[in-house]
Amino acid sequence: MTVAVARKSSTRRTLLLAALGVLIIDVFAGVISGGAGLEGFPGGVIKLALEPIVPHSVINLGSEEHHAATLFDFYPSITGSIIMSWIVMVVVIVPLILLTRNLKEIPGKIQNAMEFAIEGLSGFAMGIGGPGAKPFITFFLACFLFIAVSNWSGLIPGVGRIHAFRAPTSDVNVTVGLALVAFVYFHYQGIRALGIGGYLGKFFSLKNGGIGLFVGVLEFFLELVKPVTLAMRLFGNIYGGELALTVMTTITLAFIPMALYGLELFVGLMQGIIFSVLVLVFTMLAMEGHHEEGHDEHHEPAAAGGSSTAGAESQVAAH
Amino acid sequence: MDKLQAGIAALGVIGPALGVGIATAAAASAIGRNPEAAGAIRGVFIIGAAFAEGLGVLAIVLGILSLVL
Repeated sequence: MTVAVARKSSTRRTLLLAALGVLIIDVFAGVISGGAGLEGFPGGVIKLALEPIVPHSVINLGSEEHHAATLFDFYPSITGSIIMSWIVMVVVIVPLILLTRNLKEIPGKIQNAMEFAIEGLSGFAMGIGGPGAKPFITFFLACFLFIAVSNWSGLIPGVGRIHAFRAPTSDVNVTVGLALVAFVYFHYQGIRALGIGGYLGKFFSLKNGGIGLFVGVLEFFLELVKPVTLAMRLFGNIYGGELALTVMTTITLAFIPMALYGLELFVGLMQGIIFSVLVLVFTMLAMEGHHEEGHDEHHEPAAAGGSSTAGAESQVAAH
Repeated sequence: MDKLQAGIAALGVIGPALGVGIATAAAASAIGRNPEAAGAIRGVFIIGAAFAEGLGVLAIVLGILSLVL
């Protein structure tokens, strides 16, 4: 009894000391910056700290010396999100290349860990897409790794505040670009599987009469909605998360923003998973034949991988 | 007027919230009825919740856009 009480009070004391330390650091920072911006607290301070929707351009590649970018613009420049996405690419690609050299038959520890990770993710993908999803796992993994790491890169202190670094997925251009690449990818896979006549025949077919044609045209327009939702879901989640974090850290002190920070970590991972899973599912949907045989295929493969994917999916289900 | 516009756009999040709640209820009762299919049901639920949440984010993004433009 006494040991438990002593341990609880010592952790409470550590927490109180840590909160006091954070408060002292905050007061110190406020004094050092000359109380700058404190006259407009909290509205003015938040407006100064917010990152705009349009990223700052670090290197201008066009003709103008200083180009003030508007929301709908076309101007070549190297923005902070491009620089950060290069950093993300290096962080993802270089360790993967280094860790997968000299592959042996009997794996060492690192190779074992890599195989475990890749097999876990592939099992998850096959559980969702069915056994026919094997050729598309590489694109799934690429999307997932890039998006998850770039979402997390927005949470590093300083990224988003320094104009040269900005989380790539908090920039509309990057998310729209990703969605367009995915759009071209799944239509290309559909045309490759069904041939262009068969693929267009899914939308514009006179098989069921006039109503069938109308439904087909409607489905064609629905296809155009898919990249829009993919782009805006990712952008809204990550940019909105950064907005919320800015407001929260301006208004509250000490430990309260840490809860939102934890939520942003989780949301970053989830948005990566959701984007890649949706690209995989749309690819499988685009590849299936006419609707008579399509609807049963999803429920069987989803059940087939149940036991192997339960481990990976148990962490995903909490959302 | 901008703030009113943004506030009304933010009301659009009610729909996806209800949708995700209904999807969770359906998934929970389906798992309760058939615990062996838990993996498949989890996958279907995740995809359904992602679709619904995407539309909610569209509403928020429109609200933010009305403040900026």
